Amino acid sequence: MKLQHYLGGLEGLPEPLTLEERVFVEEWEKRIFGIHVAMMGLSNHLGSALPAYPIDEVPTAFKDEWTWADLRTGAEAMNPFDYFKFRYYEKWLGGITQFFADKGYVTEEELADRMAELSSATADFDGAEDIDDQVIAYLRLGDSPRRDVAHPKFAIGSSVRITNVPADAHSRLPGYLRGRVGTVERVFEGDYAYFCHTGDGIGDPMPIYIVEFAPREIWGPRAEDGPLSLYAELFEAYLEPIEETS
Amino acid sequence: MTGQFAYPPDREEASAKKAAALESLLIEKGVITPQTVDKVLAYFETEMTPLNGKKIVVKAWTDAEFAAKVVVDTPAAIAELDLPDGMAGAEGEHLQAVANNPGVHNLVICTLCSCFPWPVLGLPPYWYKDPTFRARAAREPRKVLAEVGVDLPAETEIKVWDSSGHSRWFVIPERPAGTEDFTDEMLMDLVTTEAMIGVALAGSAS
Repeated sequence: MKLQHYLGGLEGLPEPLTLEERVFVEEWEKRIFGIHVAMMGLSNHLGSALPAYPIDEVPTAFKDEWTWADLRTGAEAMNPFDYFKFRYYEKWLGGITQFFADKGYVTEEELADRMAELSSATADFDGAEDIDDQVIAYLRLGDSPRRDVAHPKFAIGSSVRITNVPADAHSRLPGYLRGRVGTVERVFEGDYAYFCHTGDGIGDPMPIYIVEFAPREIWGPRAEDGPLSLYAELFEAYLEPIEETS
Repeated sequence: MTGQFAYPPDREEASAKKAAALESLLIEKGVITPQTVDKVLAYFETEMTPLNGKKIVVKAWTDAEFAAKVVVDTPAAIAELDLPDGMAGAEGEHLQAVANNPGVHNLVICTLCSCFPWPVLGLPPYWYKDPTFRARAAREPRKVLAEVGVDLPAETEIKVWDSSGHSRWFVIPERPAGTEDFTDEMLMDLVTTEAMIGVALAGSAS
């Protein structure tokens, strides 16, 4: 069980809520955000994405896969107390730097040395334009997970129970919904893949549903009063039929 | 007391150096170019900003046919507007709008991470990524909304959308009363990122 999966509904948190409206609170955060987007735009899986990106021809030294799933898996692998201790982009910085070290792109020693000198590389190289063009093409064209025509198991109005399979390194099932009963409110057209096989059932293309939950079903007497509906978008692997008892 | 709760004294400086060192090394090794990060940032600073969302909202306020379509087939409705190339690009592949009306208020959250409709709203503000917001909004949205100044009538239904799948959600807020004579530009000024996620209402006419 990972605390990161069980954030929804956690109690005892500070009140009142205040809204920090800035996107970045430190200048360095912009740099790690840009690096992450570049990695997604240069990821080797884009060769088989729906826009058939000519990723093999892009003259980057980056030869690995990097998607949201990698970033999220890293965040979900953290010591949960660290997860809540560090700011959003601090987690990105840690996870992405570790990835480049683990994959052998940079060594810890190089990083330490470069942090000490802080000289920035500005030299241009052949093909630089092609790398940047690919990153921007990714931003404009995206990486849709939609695949085949769907053959959904559940219809609108069906009652479903949310699975309670053990989460692996990564999950797209909010913890607070596990074992709960909801009603299918919408069946999306098409099947949807996920970037990787998470070990809890998703990865291959499958239908996605919007499931409606009554807050009392989830939170019991700790639900808020007043008219309220909670909707989650869930892969079919996370839904089970409810056995009819007659 | 362990070191768990201590931050390094040079917390921000160390992160700034680490980010700069990483970018510098990635450039040197040919992973990215000296311009890559700046080009990515410029894309979001100049093209994919909340201005796109404001235009979508104002179109929905002023064109009933569009308003009906944008909540049913959001990508097709958006494609009719004169917006930057890339509205169906990264984090906009499957946009989904939900509209507030006198009896219904919508609130978008992401309890697992921070899924956000980049082409419509740009990059997420910190509050959206804040674990406290993500945790509390799932259980007590009415209280959270009241705390940030959205006092809804007791009979208004709140619909909370947890973005755990492929869709990237945003809210069409209600058009404020008394804005019948407003130009599109004046209307756009009433719409904020916060209103398009559901933690604010569109600004008042005065």
